[in-house]
Amino acid sequence: MPTANLVSKHFGNEKARELDWYRAQGGYEAARRALFEMQPEEITEEVIKSNLRGLGGAGFPTGRKWTFVPKESGKPNYLTVNADEAEPGTFKDKYIMTWDPHRLIEGIIVCCYAVGIHTAYVYIRGEYVRPYERLRDAIRQAYQGGVLGEKVLGKDFKLDVFIHRGAGAYICGEETGLLESLEGKKGWPRLKPPFPAVVGLFDCPTVINNVETISHLPNIILNGGEWFAELGADRSGGSRLFCLSGHVKRPGVYELTMGSPMSELIYEHGGGILDDRQLKAVIPGGSSAPVLTADCVDLSLDFDSLAKAGSMLGSGGVMVLSDSVCMVKALSVVSHFYAHESCGQCTPCREGTGWLDRILMRILEGDGRRQDLDTLLSIAEYMQGTSICALSDAAALPVQSFVTKFRSEFEYHIQHKSCDVENPEPALAL
Amino acid sequence: MPRLTIDGQEVNVEPGTTVIQAAEKLGVYIPRYCYHPGLSIAGSCRMCLVDAENSPKLQIACYTPAVEGMKIITNNEKVKQARRHMLEFLLTNHPLDCPVCDQSGECDLQNFYMEYGRYESRFLEDKIKKKKATPLGPHVVLDQERCILCSRCTRFTEEISRSHELGIFNRGNRSLVDLHPGKTLDNPYSGNVIDICPVGALTEREFRFKCRVWYLASQPSVCTGCSRGCNVWIHFNASQRSYKNQGRRIQRLKPRFNPHVNQWWMCDEGRFGFEFIDQNRIEFPHLRQGSRLQPVDWEEALQTVVRATRSALDKFGPESVGVIASAMQSNEELYLVKKLFGDGLGVSNIGHSNPAEREGFSDDFLVRGDKNPNRAGAEALDLTASVDSILEKATHGDIKVLWVFHHELPPQALEGAQYVVFMGSNWNRTTESAQAVLAGVTHAEKDGTFSNFEGRIQHFQQAVPPLEESRNDVGVLLDLARRLDCPLDLQDAGDVFRQWCGKSLRELEPFGELLTAAAV
Amino acid sequence: MSSNFQFTPENLEEYQDILRRYPVKRAALLPTLHLVQAQHGFVPAEAEQFVADLLDLPVVDVREVLTFYSLFHRREMGRHHIRVCMSLSCWLRGAGRLKRHLGEKLRVESGGVSADGQFSWEAVPDCMGACEIAPMLQLDKDYYGNLGNQDVDQLLEGFNGPPGDPELE
Repeated sequence: MPTANLVSKHFGNEKARELDWYRAQGGYEAARRALFEMQPEEITEEVIKSNLRGLGGAGFPTGRKWTFVPKESGKPNYLTVNADEAEPGTFKDKYIMTWDPHRLIEGIIVCCYAVGIHTAYVYIRGEYVRPYERLRDAIRQAYQGGVLGEKVLGKDFKLDVFIHRGAGAYICGEETGLLESLEGKKGWPRLKPPFPAVVGLFDCPTVINNVETISHLPNIILNGGEWFAELGADRSGGSRLFCLSGHVKRPGVYELTMGSPMSELIYEHGGGILDDRQLKAVIPGGSSAPVLTADCVDLSLDFDSLAKAGSMLGSGGVMVLSDSVCMVKALSVVSHFYAHESCGQCTPCREGTGWLDRILMRILEGDGRRQDLDTLLSIAEYMQGTSICALSDAAALPVQSFVTKFRSEFEYHIQHKSCDVENPEPALAL
Repeated sequence: MPRLTIDGQEVNVEPGTTVIQAAEKLGVYIPRYCYHPGLSIAGSCRMCLVDAENSPKLQIACYTPAVEGMKIITNNEKVKQARRHMLEFLLTNHPLDCPVCDQSGECDLQNFYMEYGRYESRFLEDKIKKKKATPLGPHVVLDQERCILCSRCTRFTEEISRSHELGIFNRGNRSLVDLHPGKTLDNPYSGNVIDICPVGALTEREFRFKCRVWYLASQPSVCTGCSRGCNVWIHFNASQRSYKNQGRRIQRLKPRFNPHVNQWWMCDEGRFGFEFIDQNRIEFPHLRQGSRLQPVDWEEALQTVVRATRSALDKFGPESVGVIASAMQSNEELYLVKKLFGDGLGVSNIGHSNPAEREGFSDDFLVRGDKNPNRAGAEALDLTASVDSILEKATHGDIKVLWVFHHELPPQALEGAQYVVFMGSNWNRTTESAQAVLAGVTHAEKDGTFSNFEGRIQHFQQAVPPLEESRNDVGVLLDLARRLDCPLDLQDAGDVFRQWCGKSLRELEPFGELLTAAAV
Repeated sequence: MSSNFQFTPENLEEYQDILRRYPVKRAALLPTLHLVQAQHGFVPAEAEQFVADLLDLPVVDVREVLTFYSLFHRREMGRHHIRVCMSLSCWLRGAGRLKRHLGEKLRVESGGVSADGQFSWEAVPDCMGACEIAPMLQLDKDYYGNLGNQDVDQLLEGFNGPPGDPELE
């Protein structure tokens, strides 16, 4: 049974936003258990056992991340929940905050108690106004209901949760860009080390976890880490939300256990390819993930399988491209995004993203040169591993994979000044 | 003490040292744009990439700590290729307007391109247009297209001048350095951003289009703007191009690193206050004939002042001669004043301070209120008789011959003085009251030392020859000593320094020595 | 330095509440700018100095932040603001058509304000996180998706009054 409803259980149910209803369904029982029946170290131990990995995109083991927080730094520790969901093709955290905000709050309590944190900030992207309002209302209820505040659920444990709204910058989804932004600065990522677990928000030890990651914690506490681990694949525990979009009949958020086949997501849940066309390509983990060709439907959806296939599970944003798509245009859309979102700090990213974008536009305008493809690949090569953060790599990987896997389409475009597909979607004159 | 290997050479460094610093210790210069030793680490230009053993990715040398056993390679093919590509990235939107750029010749885009670039341009796109030739303040002009966004200038105004004028606005390749609208870059240290800008984005308004830098030569010197004694380079016309720039020989001053005095910086007051070197200069000795000063030759001038001094001494004794030396003079000159007038002629009325002088602007960084470069030297040599009383004696006729070095005294202070000998480099109101004016030189035209406010003896060196007939003060004083029958067996400032300090100028520590430590 | 911009009494209270959330004053910068924009429709130049004074910041830092983030407006926009998502998933489902249609409908290019001042709009390259309803746009606070040209026409016609609050799909 690969479908799951660990975090999607209440999606579509308006009642779940109400504290009383959520509690009547057994909500905050996990938080109560964690606070009253478990030692903080035991919680961390369960999370390590669960194989829960960061679901924002990087896939770092969550429990281990917590252990990097120094035991006695003499400073307060912070939790920042990454709700900046901005990786193209990703929209799952919006569902959690909109439909099940108390699950997120409960996960926050579990994490904070485990790590010894008394202040948590949820950094939510500025565009998500309604999800922000839902979460804000839920937090208000939680304070009023004694779930947050001076004594969390009656325990002598103080916890404040604040929401911090972003203002339109993809880079603030990067951990340290997020911290800078929360501190009231431009979202310029920081040099690492030190890592946020040691020197993070306001120079204090800081855990940064994605909304969905945190939202899995209540179930892990209730059912145990081993139970969660067994649900999933080898080293990717449990389930996760997949964001299916593009050329499928039923785009949407689907929760599947880790290791479910790609074909099931696209054909069973997604209802197959739009207009019954042929599948051409899949970008499996947000637009930074290298594109896969149609034969990828046999892959399993977990971190390791996709890494082995040369791509990544990333944020769970699965974008499906049918054979109606001109890959040159598609790449141009993707590259334009990165050029728009580069923070401008590091040379290769600032200049490279813009350069890639302009070469692709020139090809689309019919002024492509034979050497352009080699130039694109060379730019992409030197954008990787040369910047402070991974945005540069994220911008380079699609270029490398598109040009390599669909080279003939690019060559056709340069030579014929038109697409190698029939009735393609027009390019975006951006 | 971590021990690491860089390009096969071993080096021991202090804990906390970065690879770029460790390499410098070995004389290995790693190219950089954003890194500056006086500023926080930005780590963003990515030019200083090096290959660290056991690290798949190249590392930035400016931020990578030097650790025990580390093996770094700074010059293999992987590193060179990466640098070449970083340069290519930097130059994509750069206008390449070197022919009209003041930075040409001292530009790190040019320098590193010659060393690591030398590729055929692959950039076929239109370059992004930004603001050009925009004055930011009294001294600095900005070209946003040339800017490579290394953030040195913004870090300077944030961390060093703490004046917060400059920022980097927007993001991605639309990023640009600018001021907040309506503000100006006008702080006491604004000129430093010109020095630290590695490209032609921030250039100097005063120097702009005056001279190509390859026509400049430089000499280490010390700023005379205040008693801090910031170490500077004097940049002057190397060739005979006096038809340029109204004959001005000195083109600009640049700060010279001294960890104890000014680090990498200097103030605008000092930086732009060098015009006196080429303006309003006393080019010939003069004697008063009637109501006017007439140029004469040195022989006549010296004979005249020696005769006047000798006559006063003979008739009225040493109390009839007064000397107002100056904290603008070098230690060597002051030493000779003391040797000649004090020890040789027995004069006791030797002071150095100017009663008209008031404390000037000062701050908690570099600028000192005392605008004399050598106050500590004058005090250490004990030339501290009351100038007020010397002037009083001169106006009452007790002092018959008054020697004044460099000072601009209030005109009324010399009313009634019988015979004033002025020696200095520039015309001022005191020369109007003088019977004899001896044409001295500025610090740019001589060798010597100043002792700064904390008593640090610092060496400055001659950059340009004396103007016209003006003469080095040390030479004139030695000449006078001979003529006044107390010859000193010395030839030049170096000899004087040796006699004073017991060592040669060359032996003086490069960053100077405290008076107490030097064998004075 | 003085500034012409002032918070309303309610917003001043809100600002005080914002301050209490952070141990460091500067952290209140983004929320404070949001508050300025909510009150004024955009962040006028004089408000930059106002915010700088409030938070003890150099005004250049305020400008840096203001120009870094794309949700802040620095000039007057329409009474309603529309952001059309141009990201890959939306493009695959017709964002290009949506963009052209909106430009024709409002008779102004992306970044502009309609002649009657009712709408301003922009095509944004960043994904707005609503690919499941592609192609989509954000009008004021809300997301609207699966938009054909007629849907857009209807949507705009319904917006002579205050913004509604439809559910997410």
